[in-house]
Amino acid sequence: MLLYENKKAKLLNILKIGINPFKKFVSTGEIKEDLGLVNSRKPTLQHIVQIIKDEDNFILPIIGNVGTGKTHLFWALKNILYYYNTIYISLDTVYKKFFYSTYSEFIDAIGVEPLRFIVNQLCDDWGALDRIYGFFHIADIDKVKKIAIQKLKNQFESDEQATLIDVINGIVTHQLDPFKKIEAEGWLLGELMNVRELSRLKLRYDLRKGKAAYVMLKLLIENSKLGSVLFIDDFERIISILKPKDSDTEEIFDPSWLYGQSQSPEKISSQKLLQKIIKLQSIKRLHLIITLKSDRSLEEIKKSFQELSKDKEIKFIDPIYIENFTEDDIYDFYTNNMKHFLENLGLTKLAKAEFDYFPLNKQFLKTIYSTTNGNPREIIKLLIKVFNEIIFSNDDLRFILEEYEPKKL
Amino acid sequence: MSHINEIVLYDLIQGIIIEGEYLGSIITKYKDDRKSVIFSDQVKISKDNGLFFEKGLTIGFEILNHKSSAFSRKLDNFTISDLSTIEYCVRIPDDIMFLYDEGQFSDTFPFTINLLHTSGLYLDDYKYGINHFDFFHGEILNNPISLINNGIILADRVVIDDQGDPVFYDCLIVGRDEKENLKVSYEPLTNVDDKAVEFIIILGIEELKI
Repeated sequence: MLLYENKKAKLLNILKIGINPFKKFVSTGEIKEDLGLVNSRKPTLQHIVQIIKDEDNFILPIIGNVGTGKTHLFWALKNILYYYNTIYISLDTVYKKFFYSTYSEFIDAIGVEPLRFIVNQLCDDWGALDRIYGFFHIADIDKVKKIAIQKLKNQFESDEQATLIDVINGIVTHQLDPFKKIEAEGWLLGELMNVRELSRLKLRYDLRKGKAAYVMLKLLIENSKLGSVLFIDDFERIISILKPKDSDTEEIFDPSWLYGQSQSPEKISSQKLLQKIIKLQSIKRLHLIITLKSDRSLEEIKKSFQELSKDKEIKFIDPIYIENFTEDDIYDFYTNNMKHFLENLGLTKLAKAEFDYFPLNKQFLKTIYSTTNGNPREIIKLLIKVFNEIIFSNDDLRFILEEYEPKKL
Repeated sequence: MSHINEIVLYDLIQGIIIEGEYLGSIITKYKDDRKSVIFSDQVKISKDNGLFFEKGLTIGFEILNHKSSAFSRKLDNFTISDLSTIEYCVRIPDDIMFLYDEGQFSDTFPFTINLLHTSGLYLDDYKYGINHFDFFHGEILNNPISLINNGIILADRVVIDDQGDPVFYDCLIVGRDEKENLKVSYEPLTNVDDKAVEFIIILGIEELKI
């Protein structure tokens, strides 16, 4: 029986293997994060959840400086919203082919089985499961398509009708034509297809083209059993598209020199993107959350939305501000992160032990806090640096920590 | 998952008859040598006038040219006055039909066989027996209807396995328990020993055209 174990020495030995407990100082929408929020942010998270539950068809702005943890908030939301499809997109990467990229992210988030279930329910609603003599299904594909068009045509605008027919063809083929089911599923999953594949399915385009991805998104979101939350990060990107080029940018040929365009291509591009977001915002049961860096950006974006949607009010919820960490937060964050790190290594007993901020100490964390003004990203950067020193240096721990005294930082 | 009493509209053995007009998924089994079964979505039951079907489909076997032949026929405004020729009439509960519906079209096996006309896959008869199990071994056949002792299996598809036994997928089962009470259940998969099978009929899709 082990009577005594030097847990601190054990922790140091584990660190010396070469694994840094603080790995990422930039959160992304792709890599899942399990670490919860610090205590001071928990009420904010609850407030957002309440808004999602209570309100419909809104845009909720989340404002915070660079590195305050806006993207990390997405993961905290995703982990808590069990009954929602929570999807992350960064406007920085998806502003081209916006609907198609958003659709791809949506499918990636919900998975194939829920997609199959929703299209099955849609086909059922369109009469695909009508029974003859009380038992036998008659898969009359043309009849099902006709019913679908009748039911849906009023929900889409006139320029979307041809796309709607294509989408209905895709869904009905997937459900009722067993010989084309596999190809049709590829189409539903957003695979790019050549003309031959499309003609076999009797479809005009794949989901990349036009508004097909939007029509699919609307159908899936409105008919999903779960609500949907779309978290659009880096929304400021839309302003950078709008803004004129810097004076020091090299001038290149612009077609407007010849044709006398009244609007710049950048403005047209950003307006198109805003129009698409307005369309998304009108989808029932979809909640939009956008992240911004300042109030000024929000005002600019609100103004642009208002200009574009004169006949329709865009519902903006009062912004939620993400501030830097409080002093208590850094202690909370450090402790939780270390516990999480040890648990992930399977060292549950060690994770439960009281380390009193070892291998650092409270004073050291306080120094980090004051040096970084509580900015989470800067805090994590410094912690990574310190832990790298601890892991790779042969010096005594005390000596390493002394190196990070305020005057040396 | 079973429901008794409320789903039994008529049962000759238990002496149950619930008069009225019923809508839904209704199975009626004859008590005759042809072992016929009627599927319908509407039935009127009364002690005086018997069973009345506005529309229905009857299936079974008959002897044609000294050979057994499976049949399926549409019924229009059809009455069975003599209730003693009916063994039972049951209405499948909606929750079971919901499960049955969910199983439809959900398979990822596109290469299933639909027969154009109704045919007998198997008939246990000492004189006019039919057995096409070897011929269809490993194939997936759509719309099988089977009589197993006193039970009926209506399934979405059937496959003959390596032992030569039928395996039914997405099945509705109607049968009697040890106390001779009628019971209804849904099973995603049922395999049956071929010795227990009285007949399997594969319903032709021509019969299902409106």
